[in-house]
Amino acid sequence: MSNKILVVDDDQSILEAISLILEEEEYIVQTTTKGEEVYTKLHTFKPDLILLDVLMSGKDGREICKKIKSDEKTKSIPIIMISAHPSAEKSIKECGAEDFLAKPFETKDLLQKISQFIS
Amino acid sequence: MNKFGRFINPIERLGMKKYSIIFPLLVNLAVVALSEFFAYNVVKNPDVVGVYIIFINVALIMYFSFRDGIRGGFIASAVSLLYYFYIIYTRHYGGSQLTSVIQTTLMLGALYFFLASIIGWLKQTIDTLIDSEADERRRLQAIVQQLPVGVLVADKNGKILQANKQVETLLGRKMRESLISGKDTVSNTLENKSVNLTQWPINHTLSTGKPVVGKNYTIERDDKKKVYLQISATPIHNKEGKVIAAASIINDITAQREMEDRKDDFVNMASHELKTPITSMKLYIDSLINRIKQTKDEKALKTLTSIKYQTERLQELVSDLLDVSRLQTGKLSFNKEKFQIDELIEETIEGLQGSTTQHAIKFSKKSPVTVFADKFRVYQVLTNLITNAIKYSPDASEINVAVKKDGQKAIVSVKDSGIGIDKDQQRKIFDRLYQVTDSKEKTFPGLGMGLYISKEIIKRHKGTIWTESIKGKGSTFFFSLPSLKK
Repeated sequence: MSNKILVVDDDQSILEAISLILEEEEYIVQTTTKGEEVYTKLHTFKPDLILLDVLMSGKDGREICKKIKSDEKTKSIPIIMISAHPSAEKSIKECGAEDFLAKPFETKDLLQKISQFIS
Repeated sequence: MNKFGRFINPIERLGMKKYSIIFPLLVNLAVVALSEFFAYNVVKNPDVVGVYIIFINVALIMYFSFRDGIRGGFIASAVSLLYYFYIIYTRHYGGSQLTSVIQTTLMLGALYFFLASIIGWLKQTIDTLIDSEADERRRLQAIVQQLPVGVLVADKNGKILQANKQVETLLGRKMRESLISGKDTVSNTLENKSVNLTQWPINHTLSTGKPVVGKNYTIERDDKKKVYLQISATPIHNKEGKVIAAASIINDITAQREMEDRKDDFVNMASHELKTPITSMKLYIDSLINRIKQTKDEKALKTLTSIKYQTERLQELVSDLLDVSRLQTGKLSFNKEKFQIDELIEETIEGLQGSTTQHAIKFSKKSPVTVFADKFRVYQVLTNLITNAIKYSPDASEINVAVKKDGQKAIVSVKDSGIGIDKDQQRKIFDRLYQVTDSKEKTFPGLGMGLYISKEIIKRHKGTIWTESIKGKGSTFFFSLPSLKK
């Protein structure tokens, strides 16, 4: 069975590009630009990993991360946060995310980080 | 002292350059008239009055020369002498001995005028001194009041001696009121403000005698407005070199700070906005490259690889521009850690060797060297120096990297045998946006940001960066970082 990845970013082009790459690697991908939709997707889609943008317009990705990590049912899902600010790494570790990827990243780095958590 | 007191007390009039003629004249004439009245109508023996009147006149001459200067003293003297002449002539000698009368009067006169001159001159000199000092003070006051910064002077007990309008504007209305009452001290003035008073520059300078240069404070004024202040203080010494007071300069840097904050916000936003499309472009290109590889269309693959390379160049430019921007606002943050720099050099070379087929990048590894620095930023410096070595040695085949320990420092060197740098350009190359031009007028691509960023990164690690180069023979770039014992 293929692994399911949920990608959350406020930029549609990023979502499309990441989906393209991940689907080529035969992951099942769902995307959303809305922070609120993340929680519903957790139950309907049941992702094995979440790629989460740090500064999403509207809702700070770190808040979403904290909420997922504070819920017993969802806290085991690995979260890789993505940000255009290299300095954001510190605050990301604090909110419980497993890993961090600075934009713009290399395709191989993205795939390598994902494979660390799911095979 | 009331108005009358100020009018007649000569001490009160020191420094007042108002020398009256009418007042001494009237008083002296009045005394003469009184004396005549006394002689004829009270004691009824005019002969006995003469002796006493001399004492009164001397007192008047002294008084008026001290009150109205030489002019006042001379008027008192003249009136006295005319009166003496009249007394002696009419009552003692009579008309037959006119010469003796004149002689006596002249002798007394010389004495009186001498007395009046000395005292009057003294008085006028004091007046001039006080006046010029007051002028000096007024001049200084005018300058201080017009300065765009706040100026505060306090004595060693903390009592405020002087403060201009800007101090009041900057610190709020309460300060102004307490200043008018004149009782306030520096410490009291700043009560209820989010400033640690012992750290307040003027207090620090008063207690230690050392100047404070440009410390930044954020305070909330009475009107709840948050202001950013930059405060300096300098001690004022007396002749013996003892600290008697301190002067403090308060500069409002709120506008500047707000501007920096806005610039920072902009850089952060631009950073996000520029990096996002580059990220998706790179992902699309990689995806496309994967597909093309399967079709074995070599031409398309070559084109796509070029697009990928150009995208990476664009990415580097964006990232350099943002770094320069952050360096200027001091917002580039460093995450320092302990690591072995020799390992980082090996990793960096491994990554860069692929970008050149012509140069062999050699690293002579000796013993491990541990440093405490931001790994990513040091990697950035290494990449920049090695990339430059490749770029500026188009005809060479080798680049040598080395690291050695020198006391408490780790020194890394990157040596090429390329075009080299003129002596007069060697220092300028670390300036922002400076680029070396070759005498053959060959131009090299780039914006000239790399060495500037490298210099700033090394500087913020308390290290140094420099070059040794001979034009036409090649350059060696060095940088040092504080090293750690293992």
